Amino acid sequence: MASIIRPAVFRQSCLNIASKRAFSTKPSPTFPAINKQAASILSKNALGNSFVKEVVPKSIQVAAFHASGRRPILPPLPQVIDGTANDAAKVPSPSPSHGSYHWTFERLISVGLIPLTVAPFAAGSLNPLTDALLCGTILIHSHIGFEALIIDYIPRGRLPGTRKAFDWLLKLATVVVGVGLYEFETNDVGLTEGIKRIWTA
Amino acid sequence: MAALRTTSRLFKASRPLFRPMQMRSLATVTDGYSSTSTAPPSQTSTTKEPAADPDAKIKTFHIYRWNPDEPATKPRMQSYALDLNKTGPMMLDALIRIKNEVDPTLTFRRSCREGICGSCAMNIDGVNTLACLCRIPVDTKAETKIYPLPHTYVVKDIVPDLTQFYKQYKSIKPYLQRTTPAPGGKEYLQSKEDRKKLDGMYECILCACCSTSCPSYWWNSEEYLGPAVLMQSYRWIADSRDEKKEERKAALDNSMSLYRCHTILNCSRTCPKGLNPGMAIAEIKKEMAF
Repeated sequence: MASIIRPAVFRQSCLNIASKRAFSTKPSPTFPAINKQAASILSKNALGNSFVKEVVPKSIQVAAFHASGRRPILPPLPQVIDGTANDAAKVPSPSPSHGSYHWTFERLISVGLIPLTVAPFAAGSLNPLTDALLCGTILIHSHIGFEALIIDYIPRGRLPGTRKAFDWLLKLATVVVGVGLYEFETNDVGLTEGIKRIWTA
Repeated sequence: MAALRTTSRLFKASRPLFRPMQMRSLATVTDGYSSTSTAPPSQTSTTKEPAADPDAKIKTFHIYRWNPDEPATKPRMQSYALDLNKTGPMMLDALIRIKNEVDPTLTFRRSCREGICGSCAMNIDGVNTLACLCRIPVDTKAETKIYPLPHTYVVKDIVPDLTQFYKQYKSIKPYLQRTTPAPGGKEYLQSKEDRKKLDGMYECILCACCSTSCPSYWWNSEEYLGPAVLMQSYRWIADSRDEKKEERKAALDNSMSLYRCHTILNCSRTCPKGLNPGMAIAEIKKEMAF
C-alpha cells in the first residue's frame, strides 16, 4: 500500500516546490532587469487601484508576470546507463572521411589559408586565380568550422530533428555564400580588391 | 471474627521482626558535605570553558552537499570552520577531520591518501584535483570551496558517478593484444627506448580529473572518449609489444571518439599527477593523419 502512495506523495511535494518557485515573490537573482520592470508595471498600471492591491495576494500579483518557470536550454537528463555498468561503451564503426581524412584535410586548408591571405598584399599584384582560390578555401574552412560547432553543441542523440535542420541550414548557407562570392568575383572588384578598398588603416 | 482478631493481633506483634529487614533494603548515602558550610569562592577553582586559541588559524570550507535520500531538496553548500593548526596540511586531512569530528554525514571517496588510487578526485577552488595532493592554502581569509567533479552525475555529496568513464575505458581494450607467441616462449621483451615511450602514460591513475575538466567531454561524454581514456588508448598504440595497433586506431577513426578534442588543454593543466593527455591526443592525431 505504501509503495502505491509514495509516488503520489512525492509528486505532490515536487509540485508544491514547483508552484512555490513559480509564485515566488522574491526577485530573481538571474534576471534583475526583468524584476525591476515587472515591479514598475505593477505599481503604475495593473495594480493602480487599491482594491486589487488589497484583494489579490501579492504572490499572485507577481505570478501573473512569471507565468512560466525558468527553462534551461538543454537541461541534463536523468542518468541512463547503456547496458549494464560492466559492459564496454559502444565503439562506432570506422569512417575515415569523418575522422582522420577529415582532420588532415581541415589542417591542410587551415595551413593553406595563411599564404593565400598574405600573398596578394605582400606581392602587391592581383590575380583572379589566387583570389578564386582564397574564396574557395575560406568557404570550406568556415563550413568545417561551423560544422564542428553544430556537432559539439547539438547532440544527435538528444535533438535529432534540430541537428538535421542545422546541418541543412549550414549546407544552404555555404551554397548561398559560395554563390555570393562567385558573383562578387565575376561582376565586381573581387575579394582582395574589396578588402583593400575598405581597409584604410 | 474473633478468630480473625487474634490473627491480626499476632501479625501486629510480629511486625517489629520485619522492620530491620525493610530498613536494610534501602540504600542510604551519608552526605559528608551537607553538615559543613560550602567553601568560599576564594578557596575553590572554577573550571572555565576552553578559551579560543589566540593563534588559531580558522579557515572556512564550503562543501557541496546533496543527499539522494531527499531527492526533492536542492543541493546546498555547507560551511565548516576548522583550525588549521589542528588539521593536517592537505585538503583530504581537512575533509577527514570534518567527517570525524564535525559532521559524520559528509560523504567522499578516499583510499590511499598519497595520490596513487585516484579516489579523492574533486573540484577544489575551481580546479579538478586530488584532495590528498592539494595543500590547504595557508591564507585563512580565502575560503575554500569544494565541489564534486564537474558535469558528473552525483551519487552523494562529493562522490561522482564514473560509470560512463569506466565503460569508455573498457571500450578501448586496455590490455596487451597479440596474435603471435612470445619469441622466447616466456615473456614479451622490449627495448629500453620502446619502454621509454610509455613514460608519462602508464602513471595515469584514472582519477577522471582531466576528462571532467574538458568542455568537449562535458557536452559529448556519451560519444567523445575524453582525455584520460584517449591517453590510455595511446599508451597501447605506442606499446611496441601490442599487435593490434590498426584496430585500435580504427576504433578511434570517426568524428566523435577522438576528433571532438579541440586542444583546449584543460586536461594537461589540471592533471594532479603532472601528465600530459593533450600531448598523447596530439600524437594519436598525428599517427592517424597520413
